Amino acid sequence: MREPTFLILTALAGVPRHGYGIVQEVGALSDGRVSLLTGTLYTALDRLTAEGLVEHDHDEEVDGRVRHYYRLTAPGLAALTAETARLRQLTGAAEARLRALRPGTA
Amino acid sequence: MTATLARRYRRLLFCYPRAHRRDELLATLLEAAPPGRTRPTVREAANLIRHGLRARLGRPASRTVTAWAVLATVISGIFAAAFATRAGWETAEPLPRTAQTRAMLADLLPGEEFRSIEDAPAMFTIYGGPLRWAAVNDLLFGDGNEYSLSSVGGVVTGVPVRPPQEMLDLVRQRLRETGWTAYRPMVNDTSTTVVARRGNTTLTVEVHFVPTVYSGPSMLAEDSIFLTAAFQRATPPAVYPCAAIGGVAGAVVAFLLFGWASRRTVGRHPARWAVTALFGVTMVLWWVPTLIAVPMMAKHHLDEPHPSWHPMWEWLWQPTLSLLFVAGGGCALLCLALAALPRPRTEAVPTPAPS
Repeated sequence: MREPTFLILTALAGVPRHGYGIVQEVGALSDGRVSLLTGTLYTALDRLTAEGLVEHDHDEEVDGRVRHYYRLTAPGLAALTAETARLRQLTGAAEARLRALRPGTA
Repeated sequence: MTATLARRYRRLLFCYPRAHRRDELLATLLEAAPPGRTRPTVREAANLIRHGLRARLGRPASRTVTAWAVLATVISGIFAAAFATRAGWETAEPLPRTAQTRAMLADLLPGEEFRSIEDAPAMFTIYGGPLRWAAVNDLLFGDGNEYSLSSVGGVVTGVPVRPPQEMLDLVRQRLRETGWTAYRPMVNDTSTTVVARRGNTTLTVEVHFVPTVYSGPSMLAEDSIFLTAAFQRATPPAVYPCAAIGGVAGAVVAFLLFGWASRRTVGRHPARWAVTALFGVTMVLWWVPTLIAVPMMAKHHLDEPHPSWHPMWEWLWQPTLSLLFVAGGGCALLCLALAALPRPRTEAVPTPAPS
């Protein structure tokens, strides 16, 4: 799973969000490092919807514009859980190696 | 301010299909835009064009479809541009007739008697004649390189009155005096060649150091050629817009056809694997000769002076390898025909009888 996909799924975990809401949340999750462009976001949403990981939740009208909200599906939650476990395992392994390199540090 | 930005975003959103969520994208773009912005950034515009075209392919779940679409679009555009350049060559002024050629040669080198001047039968010829259906076999099966730009010119035979170097200097001096732009001479073991251009005409003059070329079967010294001169037409200006328009049109058609066939054959299509295989074969047959020929031609143009570049199709190794191009075209057509096959109907779910 690529980083933008992982961040989009994470942004949608638990809370349905609309397009700009996802962009903001991805920025916050990555400490501002990942700035998701709109074209990239909607291509990812199309793909994740086609794969059944994300689905339309509801619409809201704000300032005359309709906001479409998306939510994570059960397979989406499972994919995010699996990817998080994989990344945790990799991070743990890397941290162990780094600790071995610097035995004095905790 | 927002209206201006919205209008500019809307223009970019035309890259997306009509049925796509253009309004939703626009709302997100406007929400994400910082205050005071009046036009999309270059990064944003490039992102919308790229993803819009990808959306037009209609295969959101495929990560590789864009790469295949680019391959098909680019090579089709290139070949369409090459065909369009051939059409553009139809605007070229006909080659000089015999009398005019004789006059032009007399103007260039007064006192030299040029022989064997003949009218060119066509602008491009194969084995000395215009391209006809009878020559299709030659064109397809190995002799396609014989299809080339015609020239008109003549030869000077006999025993030269000047040494070759003096003749070469005279040629270069006369080229300057008669308004030709001469390029650096090319020297080989038996001759030196000078190419030049004036207006829409190019000239190739060859001064032979060793009289090894004979104009007649008698092999007599008086038949030996020591000077040849030939005129050709330079690439007409209309070729360039023709190439651009043809290339873009070919690329757009290829992109749309690729998208259609790709969407048709996704999932349970009876010819899915055959279509994929045929598409792969087409790409190999079209791309491989092109990727080999382009660097070869670039090196050739760098190595030798060219008052006018070789026609675009020669850069694609055409029509020398036209058999591969035609075979690729056949595969592409078969690919499209198979993609048009009807998809199997999904079995209807029986509806429960009303209680």
